[in-house]
Amino acid sequence: MRRCSLVLLCVVFTTAACSSSSSSTKSGGGDPAVTTITVFAASSLTGGFTRIGKDFEAAHPGTTVSLNLGPSDGLAGQIESEGTADVFASASATWMDDVREKVGVSEETQFATNQLVIITPPDNPSNIGSIDDLAGDGVQLVLAAPGVPVGDYAREALKSAGIASAAEANVVSNEQDDAALVAKIAGDEADAAIVYLSDVTSTVAPTVKSIPIPKADNVIAVYPIAVVQGGDASGGARFIDYVAGPEGQATLKTFGFLPPPATP
Amino acid sequence: MSVAARRTVPAGVAILAGVGALFVTLPLLALLVRTPWSDLSGSLSRSGAWTALRVSLVVSLAASALSLLLGVPLAFVLARSHIPGRALLRAVALLPLVLPPVVGGIALLAALGRSGLIGRWLGHAGIQLTFTTLGAVIATAFVSIPLVVLATETGLRAISTGFEEAARVAGASRWYILRRVTLPMLRSQILAGGVLAWARALGEFGATITFAGNLPGRTQTLPLSVFVAQQRDPGGAVATSLILVVVSVAVLVLMRKRLFAA
Repeated sequence: MRRCSLVLLCVVFTTAACSSSSSSTKSGGGDPAVTTITVFAASSLTGGFTRIGKDFEAAHPGTTVSLNLGPSDGLAGQIESEGTADVFASASATWMDDVREKVGVSEETQFATNQLVIITPPDNPSNIGSIDDLAGDGVQLVLAAPGVPVGDYAREALKSAGIASAAEANVVSNEQDDAALVAKIAGDEADAAIVYLSDVTSTVAPTVKSIPIPKADNVIAVYPIAVVQGGDASGGARFIDYVAGPEGQATLKTFGFLPPPATP
Repeated sequence: MSVAARRTVPAGVAILAGVGALFVTLPLLALLVRTPWSDLSGSLSRSGAWTALRVSLVVSLAASALSLLLGVPLAFVLARSHIPGRALLRAVALLPLVLPPVVGGIALLAALGRSGLIGRWLGHAGIQLTFTTLGAVIATAFVSIPLVVLATETGLRAISTGFEEAARVAGASRWYILRRVTLPMLRSQILAGGVLAWARALGEFGATITFAGNLPGRTQTLPLSVFVAQQRDPGGAVATSLILVVVSVAVLVLMRKRLFAA
């Protein structure tokens, strides 16, 4: 009897926790032949940066790019508490500002822009035809949580369309990031979500229906990238140059990103 | 433990035990150190912890009730019946204990989601479970029901069938024997299973966020609120975590006799 209870107890507390994990590797010092550049990148960059990372590794033999992908706010928090990143690529200026202020950054530049789009399941169960329809009765809307850039941008767009409170009342879940939003819509669990244009990749496109948001209400998301203070400055700078250079820009374009704003 | 027994612990074991004790207590102590004590109630209200606590209590209590309602009968069938495939049924019933909860959430979506096997029929009837408090209860019960099954079945196998036999000889009906003889003998086992299920339900994260989503006041339980706050408001996350630690400690203290006494 006693043994059984203890086993139960162990099981309860070993299985109790399950949360998203993130992995990162500190850049290897010493041996210059083997370098790992740890890049913390916004979840929306998953496809583009995975490709860029591979291309970069091919162009720089002996260099490994280790990607930690997640919501920009969460990444900023990890950098501030653990400081294990060489490069930070954020989906909004807000979280780059935060890291700059609390940790320090260098080589900061803007490398891409993105726009918002509404996605629904292919059969569009709530007949969403425009952004205004998101305020309709009983529409099950999923947004990223406030603080997550794509969530904040979406709320800005809804506000600009004049339906902020009605649409907020339709929100059935505050998801962690854009990838979670796409999963909910592709899985037909909700009626509509607001994600980035770049989220509707060639793989995602057949599983969702896209409804454009008019320019007047749309938000231009500007992506900054920088070397994090305490990280591998030379490796980080090389990676940033690659992202901002012609190869990186061409790759990002194929993943649905728009070029960065013209530098003044 | 007697003094004599204590002396028989070899030094190596004692050292490892010390490391083990630190391994568990140090992170919890660190949590206390990091807790924003001076602004505790402010941190808690800012991070929406009180709303999450309310949702958590409703969800975890309902989930443990559901686990008891379904888990106790399941344990009876597993312990007492001779249906074919019983071993397989037991393995499946206990699977949620070792399955990553997020996998449980995905499985629940496949079954009860809007376009799930059963979910689509529920949808025609106007019932939706995803993104609802009831959905959070179901996701949570899915991971806690095995604890009730395990505790109850172990109890059933341990009790002597003599009293039940005597009642049957005396002409009592099966239902009467169950209510008046068997269940009273299992009381402490079922209670322990229920409390463990409740504790497990209170800490549930993966299945809930996957199946029921994350909406304050409806499906955002304390662990979800800790997770969300951790990204934006680390102080609030630590303060909210403290609530969960306090509740967990309270459960262990209340249950220590049942869990550790022979």
